[in-house]
Amino acid sequence: MAHKLDRRTVLQGLAGVTLSLPWLEAMGAPEVRQAPARFCALYTANGMSLPNPNHGISDWSWFPKAEGEGFEFGKSTEPLAPFRSQLSFLGGLHHPSGTKADPHLCSDMWLTGAPLHNPRPGTFNSVGIDQVVALHTRQHCRQPSLVLSIDAGVGFLSRTGTISYNVEGRPIPAENNPRRVFDRLFRGDRSSLLAQREQLQRRVRLVDAVLESSRRLNRELGQTDREKMEQYLTALDEIEARLVAAERWIDIPLKPQDVSHLNLDASPEGEPAEYYRNMFDLIALAFDADITRSVAFMLNREDGMGISDTFPLKLGLGQTHHSLSHAGDKDGQLAFAKYDLFLSQQIAGFLSRLQSYRDIDGSVLDNTIVLFGSGASTTHNPTNLPTLVAGGNRLGLKHGRYWRQNDARMSNLFLSILRTLKLEVETFGDSTGTLGDSIFPV
Amino acid sequence: MSARPMANLRLRSPQGRSILGGLLLPPIVTGLLCAAAMGEGPARPAQSPSEGATRSAPVASPVDAATDTAATDTAATDTAATDTAATDTAATAKAGTQQAESGKPAAAPEAPPSTRPPLPDEATLKTQFQQQVKPLLAKYCVRCHNVDDRQSGVRVDHIDGSADDQQIALFKAIRRQLDQANMPPEEEPQPTPAERALIDDWLGQGVRVSESRKLPRLGSVRRLTVAQYRNTLRDLFDLEEDLTDPLPPDGVSKDGFVNNAQLLGLSPIQVENYFEIAERALDAVLVDESQPPTIQHFRMELGRGINATPCPDALILGANSELLGNADFIVSEPQLDKPFPFRPFHMQTRFDFIEGYAGNDTVRGWRHYDSLYHAVFACVRGTPGYPHGAAYQTVPAGLLLRPAIPSPEIFGQSNTYGPMANFKVSLRQLPDRGSFRVRVRAARYEDGLLLPAGAPLAPPQPAAPTLSVFPAGQLSIETAGVYQVEVVTAPPAAPGAFSLQVGERFFQANLLERPPAAEREPLVNTPWLVLRMPAGTVDLRAQLGDNSRLKGVRFVRLGEETDASQKFTAFERRAPWLGVHMGLRRDCGSTLARVGDPIAVRAGELQEYVFRGAIADFPAPEVEENNVNYLAGVREIGVRSEYTDGRDLPRLLIRSVEFEGPFYETWPPAHHRRVLPERDPAQPADEYAREVIGRFASRAWRRPVTAAEIESLMSVWQVTHAASMDLRRSLRDAFLVVLTSPQFLFLIEQGVSPEEEELEPYELASKLSYFLWNSPPDERLLSLAAEGTLSAQVDQEFERMVADPRFERFVGEFSSQWLGLEKFDVVSIDQQRFPALTRDVRTELRREPVAWILQMLRQNRPVRELVRSETVLVNEVIAGYYGLAARVESGFDFVSIPAEKPELGGVFGQAALMAGLSDGREANPVKRGAWLARRIVAEPPDDPPPNVPQLPRDGPGAATLRERLEQHRSQRGCAKCHEGIDPWGVPLLGYDAGGRWTAPPPEATPARLPDGTEVRGAAELRDHLAHARPDQLAFSVLKHLSTYAVGRTLRYNELSDLHTQAARHREQGYPVRDLLRSVVHSDLFRKK
Repeated sequence: MAHKLDRRTVLQGLAGVTLSLPWLEAMGAPEVRQAPARFCALYTANGMSLPNPNHGISDWSWFPKAEGEGFEFGKSTEPLAPFRSQLSFLGGLHHPSGTKADPHLCSDMWLTGAPLHNPRPGTFNSVGIDQVVALHTRQHCRQPSLVLSIDAGVGFLSRTGTISYNVEGRPIPAENNPRRVFDRLFRGDRSSLLAQREQLQRRVRLVDAVLESSRRLNRELGQTDREKMEQYLTALDEIEARLVAAERWIDIPLKPQDVSHLNLDASPEGEPAEYYRNMFDLIALAFDADITRSVAFMLNREDGMGISDTFPLKLGLGQTHHSLSHAGDKDGQLAFAKYDLFLSQQIAGFLSRLQSYRDIDGSVLDNTIVLFGSGASTTHNPTNLPTLVAGGNRLGLKHGRYWRQNDARMSNLFLSILRTLKLEVETFGDSTGTLGDSIFPV
Repeated sequence: MSARPMANLRLRSPQGRSILGGLLLPPIVTGLLCAAAMGEGPARPAQSPSEGATRSAPVASPVDAATDTAATDTAATDTAATDTAATDTAATAKAGTQQAESGKPAAAPEAPPSTRPPLPDEATLKTQFQQQVKPLLAKYCVRCHNVDDRQSGVRVDHIDGSADDQQIALFKAIRRQLDQANMPPEEEPQPTPAERALIDDWLGQGVRVSESRKLPRLGSVRRLTVAQYRNTLRDLFDLEEDLTDPLPPDGVSKDGFVNNAQLLGLSPIQVENYFEIAERALDAVLVDESQPPTIQHFRMELGRGINATPCPDALILGANSELLGNADFIVSEPQLDKPFPFRPFHMQTRFDFIEGYAGNDTVRGWRHYDSLYHAVFACVRGTPGYPHGAAYQTVPAGLLLRPAIPSPEIFGQSNTYGPMANFKVSLRQLPDRGSFRVRVRAARYEDGLLLPAGAPLAPPQPAAPTLSVFPAGQLSIETAGVYQVEVVTAPPAAPGAFSLQVGERFFQANLLERPPAAEREPLVNTPWLVLRMPAGTVDLRAQLGDNSRLKGVRFVRLGEETDASQKFTAFERRAPWLGVHMGLRRDCGSTLARVGDPIAVRAGELQEYVFRGAIADFPAPEVEENNVNYLAGVREIGVRSEYTDGRDLPRLLIRSVEFEGPFYETWPPAHHRRVLPERDPAQPADEYAREVIGRFASRAWRRPVTAAEIESLMSVWQVTHAASMDLRRSLRDAFLVVLTSPQFLFLIEQGVSPEEEELEPYELASKLSYFLWNSPPDERLLSLAAEGTLSAQVDQEFERMVADPRFERFVGEFSSQWLGLEKFDVVSIDQQRFPALTRDVRTELRREPVAWILQMLRQNRPVRELVRSETVLVNEVIAGYYGLAARVESGFDFVSIPAEKPELGGVFGQAALMAGLSDGREANPVKRGAWLARRIVAEPPDDPPPNVPQLPRDGPGAATLRERLEQHRSQRGCAKCHEGIDPWGVPLLGYDAGGRWTAPPPEATPARLPDGTEVRGAAELRDHLAHARPDQLAFSVLKHLSTYAVGRTLRYNELSDLHTQAARHREQGYPVRDLLRSVVHSDLFRKK
């Protein structure tokens, strides 16, 4: 009988994350009928408007007035008010590595917390929370994760174009074109599916060959202590089961969905609101069909990069996003806050879409943790990161609060999220534990 | 913090019973110092060995395994695991205490069995129990701990006096309870001290009897460690690239080693990684022979004004881009001379960018370029403010570089752009994979020594040749020799750059003019430079501002005896060290990794220096192709004069930098041919496949492949071949199976019976090579195994293997783990307190202990030199750190020099070790003491109790570390263990958290070692160990070598044998290579 794996041995050292996997849940076994737990990270660059108190526009501050359950939405977050019982504001968070690094790195590390000021030799970044979720949920769905951004590709270090980093800490190229996203998610390309199947079948065959020869060797070992061989055989069995499960997806038809509201021609070059709406709708559809359980979407980019820098101009706010974020004058800070307002409207639209889809148990929103925030409070200031958590009421989140704790760690927040999603993760990045007494059940 | 009254010390269960098990002491009290001690455990994010090892493994020796606390790093956070661990340790605590109390010299817990009372046989043990112990248990314990009433889940009524392995944890737990007087509870009848001792003695014997019992020998199956797997792939394929990145690090055993078979786990994801790595390795090795390779090759030539047709655009590489002048470099893609056809790769020159830069601002708008000069840049962006002289200078012959002074790398406090003098070729495209070569044409410049401000004037010399016509003129030197250049200026002095051209030599530095000696001194002479001049006429050119204040440049010949002349002679004998780095441009600097080791450039003429590496081993910007941002994905090839300790070095002249990659000497490459030999077209495919697969599998598996194995591999080949008719693809599939099979991934010693058996010849070959090389056996070992003569020739092979460069792989691995060097890798040094401990200095200091152990082994030094040696092994960086810079002129090469200082010479003086055993701010006697006890003298202390919080940092109002230690030691339950730890650490307190000797703290008191000896300070400690305790040192070395060699924790009886084994070398003073040799001759190693 194989010894049970020490769960902690499973993923030790994967670029900053210590976790273990529920591998021993049979991969091919029929799904337990319960709603999937999902995660969605939404990032906005350059911080939020936190106006200078002397300007007399404090009600435009992104952080709410008053802490706890009696908090009041500011003017820039008012569109989110209908979801009061399904969201919470979080204050005082930061990445300890963030204050040590070039502030332009804050989007690179938002989901990872990696020490980018002094990277471990041979590493680029470390794994992000969305990819940890993907690692744990990929056996249940077709796509481990969906990585989206306002600009396609990965950008470059300190001006990243993606907020998603794989288990090796490498950036995952983001998609920004609604049509390509739709085609990839909902219209499997036949020839690529066939190629994929061929790959999987080859691997199954080779794993099988190794398994067979290992078994023979194991029989020949006679009196030798075979514990390690048994472990190896178990691992091979697991891999084979997973490969078979992955291949199975190819034949399972997609859930029928109404997609008539999609405008796949929406583009970042056009109306910002139209573009965001369509990207959000695609995410909601993907969640509803359980195509993926992990999404990361970078809404705009740091430091004047990319097309999103021009959005405030298109909205008539007078300056580019990066310039507005640097504004110290009343008008500039007000205009920046109005861009926050615009973003709040988009997020609210997304939340209602998630709310409109039903899971077996509650709405999709009730089973999804949506994280919205920035890597800087105001531009280039990587402390007190503006953070909003919405959804997941059915996962045990206690919403309707403005929770605040000075110098709390983002990695602890991430660990709380991962544990709330019932993922067996011991630590995340530089976490020291979960967030403690907060909105999370753990 | 205040000490609590004793009465509060007991933790109670709701029933008023103290809880049997680990939770014996309130964490508040116990935690403090043990937390510090725990820091001595493995610093890596190790998996907790306590679960995997102690639970499933046969119970290990109490004197070692159970008490060695390497496992306890994780203990504080893992209560479940420590419950067992903590109770396990009571035995030894008691054993040690008893001996101390009985007045004997406190025998080391691992002292040879001869110093202990002989163990009774099992029958006697049982009789003793029935007659003496059982009545006591019945009287005091059984009422609450019996089959019906198991208070705290414990019963003792079923103990029958047999020392079964299953009983051992219980025995240890009972001893701990008794030892700490937690049981029986206060209100219950108490046993007399004699009764306590009786029970305790019996239990102690029971534990030892159990743990001395011989276990059946069942061979072993041990996974290759990550390092062994890496070396195996590397040797098998002759592959430069390291493909093992995705593998999680191996767990650290409580012995400190990562090759403990029990901890070498195998998860599905790890096995999946083996498949991925095998795919990548085969991708890298097997090529399509029919296709010529594509090779990138370009050259950047450097020199002032050498480009007659410079790029007309103003080149800007972001903010502070600091590029060389467009006319000062030429980029070309010259035709390569290769003995095979290939396709030259031409770098992209046409670009469309929408994001560009104007200063620090991003500007949008499409721009179109078509020039190689927008693809390859000569960039010198670094930290400005070189202290003396211009950091770099382009001259007609090339680019001159002064040593690259590392930047403190603290964002917000210092510029993060990199070292001062930071030349790199910045470029947009490099190959994704494969090996590369960087060739640098460089020379040592015939340089002059810049004089510091305030340098004395040369002795008066009436006829000093003086240049007085500006900006240029001629000078006649009658006598060749060393000259001091003095600049004559008219006041008022003003700081400014002065440049001087002497023939074809160029000098540039600030002129810090001497204040006038007298108020009315009309002209001032400022000594500026010392250089060697040949006799004859030489053209001169000088420049100081607009030259209006410059009145003359005097050349004064220096006598050999003058200070300046002697400094210059030392200076001109030095060589700059050429280093090449590769990586990527960051907005805030660069991420670069060194390519190979720096090379000393001694020749004055241009020569080619070659650096090699595998592209994928270096940081890459991870950007998609055709990114529309001008700065995205810029890579860098850094070329530096490497900095050692700031001494003056002749400048490094760089003439050209050339890149070639992927680099092939032949096509198809040798590693491809080695696996796939040329096929005679007449030979049937399956015959060829059988040959090729058989040979490959035999090499990979380190033994001849069996007929059955070949058949199963052939069937893999046949399926793919039948489907694809592609020979290479089908062979590749069979190879993949070879590389993922247990025969490749495991070291297997097949056990035929439960009795001890000799290793089979091939098993012995692998055991030797994975021990002494950490690598697979080479052809010679395998052929000796095939002939059946290996076991008779172990001595010759041992000598050959020790002399082989692969021996360094073993030493690097073994000594790092034995001495716990990884702690130095992770300790976060307080930069404010220890500014000298820069990243580069740490890199060199990290090498010192390994180099030291290597030298001890290769030179077969006596074991006492481990702690006390007359010499130190240093290079300039390390010598500089220890204040010995003046005695070393070796650059980065290690040289042996007299230690002279009493705190140096041996492991205690090695900064990497002492700094690793600190918290980065303060020296920590507990960490150092626990380390010394475990690793150096092999007298491991107990595990700390569970639930110990970290030692709080010093804050306002907090007691000093020493005071907090003192408080802690005075607590009951802590004192005993710390008696075996702290005395070892206290003498080492003179080394600060940066590992350097400082004056011993004023409160330094003599430390009473566990054997009763009093020592004061590090020098006395090492003298004592070297002279009075070499047996202990030798035992420790042998214990660690043996444990590493067999990859498991040793049992009590095996450790006892080591004492005998070591004793044979006592007369010679325990030469360490002899100890190592004795390991490969031992039954422990040779039998399975």
